[in-house]
Parts: sequence; C-alpha cells; structure tokens
Amino acid sequence: MKQIIRNTKAYYCVECGKCTGSCPVARGNEFFSPRLIVERALSGMKQDIEGDRELWACLTCEACSKKCPSTVKYSEFIRGMRKMAFDSGFTSRCSQGGLLHSIQRIHSIKDLVQDRLDWAKDLKTSKKGEVLYFTGCLPYFENLFSAFVSPIEIAKSTVKILNFAGIVPAILQNERCCGHDLLWTGDSETFQKLARLNTEMIKESGASRVVTSCPECLRTLKLDYADLLESTGIEIMHISELISSLMKNNGIKFNRSGIMTYHDPCRLGRHLGIYDAPRDVIKSMGELVEMGNHMAESSCCGVSAWATCESMSKQMQVNRLIEAKSTGSDTLITSCPKCLIHLKCAVHNQIPVEKEKVDIRIEDLAVAAGKALAGD
Amino acid sequence: MQQVKRWLVIEMKSMLVIGGGIAGIQSALDLADRGFHVYLVEREPSIGGHMALLDKTFPTNDCSMCILAPKMNECNAHPDIDILSYSEVAGLSGEAGDFSARVMRRARYVNEDKCTGCGECRARCPSKVPNEYNSNLDTRKAIFLPYPQAVPRVMTIDKDHCIYLTKGKCGVCRKVCSAGAVDYEQEDTFVDLDVAAVIVSTGFELFDPSQMPEYGYGRYANVITAMQYERMICASGPTSGHLETSPAKQHPEKIAFIQCVGSRDMQHNPYCCSVCCMHAVKESILAKEHYDESQSYIFYTDLRATGKGFEEYTARAEKDYGVQYIRSRPGQITEDAGTKKLTVWYDDTVNRKVKGLEVDMAVLCTCLVPAKGGEKLAKILGIEIDESGFFENMDELTSPLDSKRSGIFIAGYCQSPKDIPESVAQGSGAAARAAEVGSA
Amino acid sequence: MIPRIGVFVCHCGTNIGGYVDVPDVVEYVKALPGVVHAERNIYTCADDGLTSIKNAIKSRDLNRVIVASCTPRTHAPLFRSAVAAAGLNPYLFELVNIREQCSWVHMKEKEAATQKAKDLIRMGVARVSLLEPQEEIRINVTPSALVIGGGVAGMTAALSIANQGFRVDLIEKESELGGMLRHLYTLYPDGRDASPVLAKFIENVKNNRNIEIHTSSRVKKVDGYIGNFTVWAENEKGPLEIRTGVLVVATGAEEFKPLGLYGYGAGAVLTELELEDRLRSGLLHTIKSAVFIQCAGARCSDRAYCSRICCNVAIKNAMILKQMFPEADINILHNGIRAYGTYEKMYRQAQELGVGFRKYSKEIPPEVMVNGERARVKFYHELMGKEIEYSPDLIVLSSPLVPHGDVEEISKMLKVPLGQDGFFLEAHVKLRPVDFATDGIFLCGTARAPADITESICQGYAAASRASIPLMKGYVQAEAITAVVDETKCIGCGYCASVCPYNAASMNEKTVAAEEFSYATKKSYINPALCKGCGTCAAGCPAGAITPNHFTLPQIIASIKAFQPERYTLAIA
Repeated sequence: MKQIIRNTKAYYCVECGKCTGSCPVARGNEFFSPRLIVERALSGMKQDIEGDRELWACLTCEACSKKCPSTVKYSEFIRGMRKMAFDSGFTSRCSQGGLLHSIQRIHSIKDLVQDRLDWAKDLKTSKKGEVLYFTGCLPYFENLFSAFVSPIEIAKSTVKILNFAGIVPAILQNERCCGHDLLWTGDSETFQKLARLNTEMIKESGASRVVTSCPECLRTLKLDYADLLESTGIEIMHISELISSLMKNNGIKFNRSGIMTYHDPCRLGRHLGIYDAPRDVIKSMGELVEMGNHMAESSCCGVSAWATCESMSKQMQVNRLIEAKSTGSDTLITSCPKCLIHLKCAVHNQIPVEKEKVDIRIEDLAVAAGKALAGD
Repeated sequence: MQQVKRWLVIEMKSMLVIGGGIAGIQSALDLADRGFHVYLVEREPSIGGHMALLDKTFPTNDCSMCILAPKMNECNAHPDIDILSYSEVAGLSGEAGDFSARVMRRARYVNEDKCTGCGECRARCPSKVPNEYNSNLDTRKAIFLPYPQAVPRVMTIDKDHCIYLTKGKCGVCRKVCSAGAVDYEQEDTFVDLDVAAVIVSTGFELFDPSQMPEYGYGRYANVITAMQYERMICASGPTSGHLETSPAKQHPEKIAFIQCVGSRDMQHNPYCCSVCCMHAVKESILAKEHYDESQSYIFYTDLRATGKGFEEYTARAEKDYGVQYIRSRPGQITEDAGTKKLTVWYDDTVNRKVKGLEVDMAVLCTCLVPAKGGEKLAKILGIEIDESGFFENMDELTSPLDSKRSGIFIAGYCQSPKDIPESVAQGSGAAARAAEVGSA
Repeated sequence: MIPRIGVFVCHCGTNIGGYVDVPDVVEYVKALPGVVHAERNIYTCADDGLTSIKNAIKSRDLNRVIVASCTPRTHAPLFRSAVAAAGLNPYLFELVNIREQCSWVHMKEKEAATQKAKDLIRMGVARVSLLEPQEEIRINVTPSALVIGGGVAGMTAALSIANQGFRVDLIEKESELGGMLRHLYTLYPDGRDASPVLAKFIENVKNNRNIEIHTSSRVKKVDGYIGNFTVWAENEKGPLEIRTGVLVVATGAEEFKPLGLYGYGAGAVLTELELEDRLRSGLLHTIKSAVFIQCAGARCSDRAYCSRICCNVAIKNAMILKQMFPEADINILHNGIRAYGTYEKMYRQAQELGVGFRKYSKEIPPEVMVNGERARVKFYHELMGKEIEYSPDLIVLSSPLVPHGDVEEISKMLKVPLGQDGFFLEAHVKLRPVDFATDGIFLCGTARAPADITESICQGYAAASRASIPLMKGYVQAEAITAVVDETKCIGCGYCASVCPYNAASMNEKTVAAEEFSYATKKSYINPALCKGCGTCAAGCPAGAITPNHFTLPQIIASIKAFQPERYTLAIA
C-alpha cells in the first residue's frame, strides 16, 4: 500500500475534498468518497479498504484527478487498491452477472480459437497491413446487447471509412480482449496474459499504426501496453483522430445535416486528452452544440469496466440525456461503444422521467461518419 | 517658514523605485523623506497598484482608497519624488551606488504638463472600451483616467482603441481640450537616470480562473472573481456599491466564496497566496453590512488567519456576521439555465457528506501571481526569478530584501506572497537597504 | 480680521454625492454671512480639487477655508498643506466631516442627510471664523538611535541605522546578543543550522563601529521626546545615561510554556524549543514515533490569536525527525495547516518525506495520557470521523509565542500601547506596521506580533528606515496644536500632569510676587514638543487655566450655538 501511495502521489493529499466534491458517484452514493479512501490509505487502514464494497464503486472517470490540487493520480490509486483487494480475495460486483469478465478471462487461454470476423465479410480487410484495426469486444457486445443497440455497426462503419480512404486495414483473426476491464477490477495477472497475447499478434501483423473504436482499448494499448510495445514505435490512435487526419490530409468530406451534441468518453477525454479530433469530425458533419458539461467537465456514462451498474448509473445516464436533449440537438454523438451501450440501455427500459426529456437519437461517431461520407 | 538646512550636508543621491503600488509608494516616501531624490516608475497611468482597486481592507475594514489616497498624493506633492507613470524600465547599467537606468516613457498622447484632468475629453470620446480598472464590469473611454483619485491626474489615450490613432478619424478630444494637451504625434521617449540603488516592487496580477472549467467562470454569469466583487461592493465602483446578480439585477441572498482558486494547486500555482482567506472573510462581512438578509459561505482548506488580529477577525465574522465556514474545496459549480442560480458541489469534509449548495453568487478567490513581464525585467536588471515568477533573494532567509545583484532590492508581493502591512514593511525595509547604499 | 471664508463641498464620488444633495448644500452655504466662496468637487482630495482650493484662496482673497468631506484623520494634513501652499496659515482651515458622520449613516434619508450636512457646515463656518494662525515648531534631532532588544529584529535595525551613518546604542537584557535565535537548532524553510546565522549577525554588529552594545542591560527610565530622548539603563558596571534621537523597540517574545496542557511536564512531552534544544545538544534518543500537537495554548479563550509560525516550525522539526529516523511514524495533529505563502512548498516536502498530517477537531482537542515514561495520544480525526490513538515515544507541543513578562513595564516607560493580546500596538495595523503612534519610537519583530526570522529581518530594516528619517533630516516638525497654561489662573494642583498621556505637562516651581509679599508655588508647564493637543488637561483643569489652542472655548461655543440656524452669527476674532 505504501508503494501505491508513493507511485500515485497520494501522500500529497491535503484532504481538501475537491475529489469527492467532483465525484459523480459520491453525489448519489453517500457511502462513497474518493477522499476517504485516500485518507484511510494514508492512515494505514488496509483491511478497512479491502473489505469496503464501495472500493468498486469508483468509475475511474478522472473527474477528480483532473482537478486534484495535489496531483494525486486517483484512478491509478484506485486501481492499485483494487489489485490489493483482489489479491486478498475480494472482487467487484460485476454487472451482467460477471459474464463479460468470464469471457475476458477465457480470452487469456493461449490456444483459444475464435470465430469473430463474420461482420467484416463485405468489407476489405487483410491479415497483415500498415494499419491495424483493433476491433475490441464489439462482436461480443453485438450478441449481448442486440436488444437495443448494434455495436458491430461501429466496426463496420470504421472499416467502411478506412476503405473509402483507400486503406485496407488488418484485423486479427484471434484478437483478445485488451484486458482493460480486468486490469481495472484488480485482476492484473490475467491482464498481463492478455496484454502479451495481443502485443505479439500486433507485432506480427506488421502494422505501424493501430486504430481502435473503443477509448478503453485505446487507453489500454497506449498506456498500459506501453512497456510491451515500447520499442516498436507503433502508433496507437482512436478512429476519431484518424478520420480527423483523413479530413485534413486526404480531403475526405461529409454531407452536412442536423444539429449534434457530443458526449466525451472519460478515457478518450480526461484520460488521454483527446477532445478536438471528434469535434473536428462532428463539425464537418453538422452543427455542434455543446452541453454545459463538456470536455474536461464531461459527465461519465455511469459504468466502467462492467464493474458497477446501479441506480446511480441510471441516474447519471438519464441526467446526461436530459442535458443532451436540452441543447436542442437531434443527435447525441459519442465515440465509445460502451458509452453508447450504457446510454441506450438507460432509455431501453423504464425511465424515471418523461420520455420527451430524454428523447434524442444516440449514435456512435464512426457510424454517423460512415453514413455521412460524401461521394459514397 | 524658515528653511532649515539639512543636518547632513552632503549631496543626496537619487533612487529608482520600479512599481508604484503600496510597497513602492512606501519605499519612495521613506527615501524622499530623508532627502534622496526618487524616480517612481509605474507601468500603469496611475500609481496606487491593486490597493487602489480594493473596497475595504482587513482586519479593520478601513476604506482602502481613503488610507491610500493621502499617500498617493503625498508622492505627487513631494518635492523629492518624480512619478514616471505609464513608463517602463528598459535598461540598467553600472553598479551599486552608481547605476544608470533607462526608462521608456510610453506615449500617452496627452501632454502631462498641460493636462488638468478636467475630463472634458473623456466625456466626449466616442470609443468605449472594457474597463480593466473595474475588472471589465463596465466600460471606460479610449481617453481615460483609471479612477477618479488617479495620481498623476493626467489623461491617457489607449492607442489600441482610439479611433483617431487607429483609423485617422475623429480627433474629438483634441478639439475639446481647452488646455491643448492632446498630442496624437507623441512618441515613446527614453530618459536616462543616474541612481544609487534600485527597488523592485512590481506586485502581482490575478490568476485567470477560466483555466479551471469546473467553476464555470466565463460561462456562468454569477460566477465572479473576488476582484470583481471588490469593485462591485465599492461605492465608487461600476454598480455604485451594489452587489447585483445577473441578469435579475437583484442583491444576492446567498454568496459562496471559494478559496485557493489557482493557488495551493500543483496544477496551477503551488504556493499559497497568503491573502485570500482574509479577503474572503472581509468580503463576507461587507455583504452582511450591505444586505442584512445575506448569508455568506466561505469554502476554505485551512483558513490561514496568521496575521495580527486575523484569527480574531475570522471569529468575529462568524459570531457577529453569521459567516459560515465550510472546510472544503468545491469540486464543481453548476448553473440552472433558467434561474441562473448556481449549485456549488462540495464534500463537507468535517461532516463527510457531499452536498450541493444553491447560491445566487459564487466568488472565486483567485491566486495572485507575479505581474507579467517579470522575466523581461529580471533580464534587464540582471536579477533572478524563481520557477513561480518571484524575484529571487540573495538569501531567502537572511536577506529577504536583497536581490541577487548588489544595489537592487525587492519589496512587496513580487518577492513572495504577502498582504498589505507586510508589503509596507518591506517597502520601508528596502528603502533602508537602498539608503545604506546611498549613504556609503 | 473680517473673515473671508471659502467652502469646498466634496461629492467623494457617490460616497457623499449619492446621499446628500451637494449642489443644494453649496447654494445654502453661499448665503451664509462670512462665506465669500463655495463650490463642489467630485473629489476635493484629488489634484484638481486641491488646485481649486489654492486658486480660490488667491483669486477670492480667502482667509479661512472649510472642506466638507471625509474624516480629518486621513485628509486634514493634505488639505492643510494645500492651504499652506497658497500662502495661508494652514490652521485657518477646518474640515467638516459630512461622510462618516453624515452621508454614510443616513444613506436611506437623503433629505435629512442634506439638512444635516448644511447644519454641520454652518457650525464649521461659525468655528472657522474664530480660528487663529498656529505655528509649527521645529525640533532638532540628536543624530543617534537606541535599540531595545538584541535579537534578530533589533540587530538588523541597529545594523541598518548604523550603516546609514548614525550611532546606535543596542541594549540587550541577556548577557549575549541573539534573542530567540540563540535557542533554535535549525531554521526554515531550508533547514540550515541556526548557529552560523547567529554568529554572522553578532560578528556584523560587533564589527560595526557605529554600534555600541550594552548586554546584560535593562532600561530603567525613558524621558524626552522625538529627537531628544534620554534613556537611563543599568548593568553590572553601573547606570547608563544615553541621549538619543529615536528609539526602536525590538524586545521580542518567548515561547509559551503549556503548563497543564497535553501532559506537559512529563518526560516524553516537549515544546518545540525544548525539542530544538535536545536536537542541538544531541540528547534526543532514538524514536520510533512522534506526534506534534499544534495550537497548544493558542487560538483558545486565553490566547485568541494564531501564532503564525508554529505550523512551519512543526513541519521543519517533523522533517528533521523523519530524516534522522526514516522509519519513524511522525504525525502532526493540527487544526488547519497554516504554511502560508511559499512555505507551502515546505509542507509539500514534509508530505513527500512521509510526515502525516491529521486534522483534529477544535471542539474535541487531542487528549494526552501520561503513564510514567510512556504517553498515549487520543484524538478525533475530524475529516475521517474516527477516533485514533497513538502511543508515540515523543510528543511535541507547538505552543505560541507570547509577550515577555516585562512588556507592560516597557510600555509604561515608553508610553506606548499594548494590544489586547499583550503585544505592542502599532500606529496603524495596515499602513504603519512599524511605527508607534508616539513620534520617534518604532517597533519591529516579535514584540509586535509573532513573526519568523525572515519577517523579523524585514521589520528590522523597516523600523531602521522609519527611524533614520528624522536622523537624516536632522529635525522634526512638532504638532502646532498644543495646550497653553494661563499661570495667573493655575492653582498648582498638578491634576494636568497626572492625566497627560504624553507626559507633556509638568509642575514647575515658581515664585509669585504679590503686592506685599511673595510666595513659592507650583505652576503647570506644558512642553510644546511633547503635547499632542488632545485636550485632556484642559478638560480636567479645575481652574480653567489651560486652553488647548485651536479648540478654545469661544470657538467651540460658537460652533454649538450655530447648530440652531437662527443663532448663527458671524463672529470676528
């Protein structure tokens, strides 16, 4: 624990409470306080932290650490605490009954055989290539959430845009889960296995550039695989960045229509500082109207790493949709498959407010861009 | 009256004071009172610094301008002080006891000797500019006096906004000036001054809180800075001393003061600005004095009431003025788009509860950062500046008034964060150091 | 002389103009007998206002001037000098306060405020007609200073005054110079050793030929006034009598001994200074844990003030302990860490080193339980809502600086005031931090309020600056408004001498020659150099023998009579 305190600079905490005051979870869950977890760690109360179910409530959205006056790396701190708890036998309360985490653990089996490329059969892809499209869990999400959303459309649109720009991306026959969710729920051992399997395949593909749709994959590949990919010089980028650069360098244009607002995913925005690229793309497709809480102040979609989905999550999602609707936009664009799933899930079932207040189309950036390609 | 000869029959040397805030004013007066000739160089059109913009001062609630104006006027009337306003130091050569300083006198397009400060030109000037002396809460004209008590009482033309100087048309001010003081042809000039020692007292400027989007400054109309609050509640300010919410123009009932905005923050300025705890206490007392129904909340981290009488002052604010102290640094301010009321989201650390407090106005007590241009001035003077922008001392512990160059001294906020009495003490102290050089 | 009165009514921006109908007041005043000129100014104190006073004195041949504006405390000197600049005796001027005493207190009753402003000015006009010229006297200054207290502040002040070319007598009651610095082990913020700093100071003072050091000396009596003080002191060699122009009070402060608090007295419980002493003498045994308790005896009902330096001192000492014993658990229990300014950096360094900072609750202060050599500390961690207990090897109490026991004696001797917390009280807390209200006496260091070494040095220089002004000028201008005694009425009772706060009144032996015999008696004498014109003696004199110049009975009565408009008459002096 001392090491985690040291690595995350938690010792700088002056107990000002800005983290907890910023925390979207703490606003609805009176038992959760980012500050108090740090304070308990500083006072050496290891068991107290490990046994606390609220340890898993954190969304690691970095709303707190982005503004922490003492520069405590809070999300890393919580990750460290969770690893510590996990190693002592405590686990998170997985949403989806732990199904997703189980699939992810299965992914760490070396000899696993997957059939996951069916979606790409009408598109131009290859086994090796300059640009690798890291699909992530989209094919699995498609099976799980097809009742209200079609996540695989994101993958399809992504490859469609790449093809349109003359790029034939490599996709991996046996790509594994990036390990993000396990890493953030304390299982760093399995994460390491997944990371090794993926990085080997990425290196084999011969790609110099890896594109992801999912900001969580992006963060994981970029930051958490950094050691394993360090010497390769492979560039990891989000699809919004690639589209934005295609617009600038390859003259790709979009048909303009409608008014849109944009939801910044935590990992793309606060974790990686990518705010402008998706906005560049949206502005070329239509008018962008910002929500009050945007960029660094954006709200989280309410779930992270499939670790938590509670009434608080639903509340956050509904609030976000109300905010989006009140901008007068007809579409809420996001650039994270998980945000998309969570926001759509919120209106799929019963909602605590009048439907008109949250009645806004929700679409992934790549899907919207795929539809709007000019000259397609 | 009979003129008594100076007791010390020596030729008195000259001194250069850079920065005419309260520290520089004190240095200048102390040096001139003992017979040195002082050049007081000020970048703005008037001396007075930030103290001239404050309403009251803690912990006595003395009217700031009322205690400062006599000193400003004393400088003006002093036979041994030359105020070089709207001027900047451009060069320095020589050594302690025998410096030569070059001062750039920026063109103010008004002849200082002819202008009477009557204000006729200002009344007729058609160009309106955001008034930085009122924290941009109202407008001034392109030909202006920073405030009525300005010293020297001489108009200045803001060349970036003067229609004549930018477009070659207008010329109204020259036409109406019966003193013939307006001179569009004026250019920057340089004067060389022989001085024995230099005192640097360039003060501070305010941190821009729009760098902290969580507090909504610039986005939410009722989030203001403490300096804007000072101007509003000051009788000679843009609202004639009335606090007003926007757009309702009503007196705020609930006011939140948020401390350490940009200070004690390793993402912005790591140091404590030393004054925001106390000015927030003062400002909340003033709110209550103006509007009995008002309720102030001060969001603090440590409430650093360390100066003389400060602890007692904070206690009095709580007891007699009902000020509520909340130990927390708020995480976010949100706005109700309809009512424009604000919600301050915070962790009440003492009660360990997250709360949203609805207020009519939120006042950001922003960090005071060393005035811009410090790096350039340090280069010109051959002195050093630290990572936060404060001028460095010969020895931070034992020679807090000496710069790293002999004969150049430092006083006031530009040396390290401090309040008015400490700035005055340093102003006097630096004068003593300079006088030692001048007496050698 | 027929009064030709000029009246200048100030708007003070909206301070007055917003609540008093100033143009109406001016019209009213113009009609008063004796008034030959009346005008209004947005700010009479601004350059143009002052200029119009000067111009009007000349062009309208004014021989009396009234400014109706704000308080004479801040602005009378300014207007007086404007009047003097125009060639009129500055005491033929009267300031009528229509701001603090009118517009500000009647903000909601504009008509009544306007009427009151008229009344006040009319009363002023009645008074100003009777005013007489007063002459300011100049007093020569003995070109030397005497500094009481040989700590950091006093030594700094002495050195600076000496370096400006004046003789300084430095009086220290201890046998060695250094004051508090002698008791410190290291200094913040960089943690350097205190002893070389002290040695350097003492060397500089001793090597300065302008400074005469009097150690083991105590001031016994002080007499005189700015420019001409006589100080009687005493040491082993005998009495000293020193004549000096100015005095600097740098008597310092001492650490409060927290008897009866937090187990103080037990072996494991030390104050910060006691800890420094152990560190310096190398007597500190190995520790596994230590707890610092902040505000031990400060910010409480007995001592309301914050002692400013203790947080920084504790941080410094905690870091020393942590560096000596890296594995030790060091915690500072505080009620707000007040590492103001750039000392915040030191706070951060302590955190980096692993010093713990735990906030206790002011309502439930920490409890120390002593059991022989062992001690336990129990406190309520307010921000976690948990009670926590430590069993440290060492408990350090950060107790406040308090004034020395002899401050009251010094205060009486010098006739300078103490504030409610027992520290010396400066002339103005904001703009005159190192001046006393009494001319010629200055203040610096912890005698004024808790301050650290660096701040004491700054203040030492500041006091040196202020004190050297009269020395360099060679003279001072005394108060013109003083009281005078009519010896024919004086009955020699001595009441005036007993009430004078400035020691200006004394009783002189006089021989009164009557027609048939003469007799010896006492008559009051008021030293014009010391008299501040407060009027206490005049008010108390049973024989009505004392008149305060500028506030004579006829002047005051004329003013009171004029309160009723019909009783206003132009009086001629």
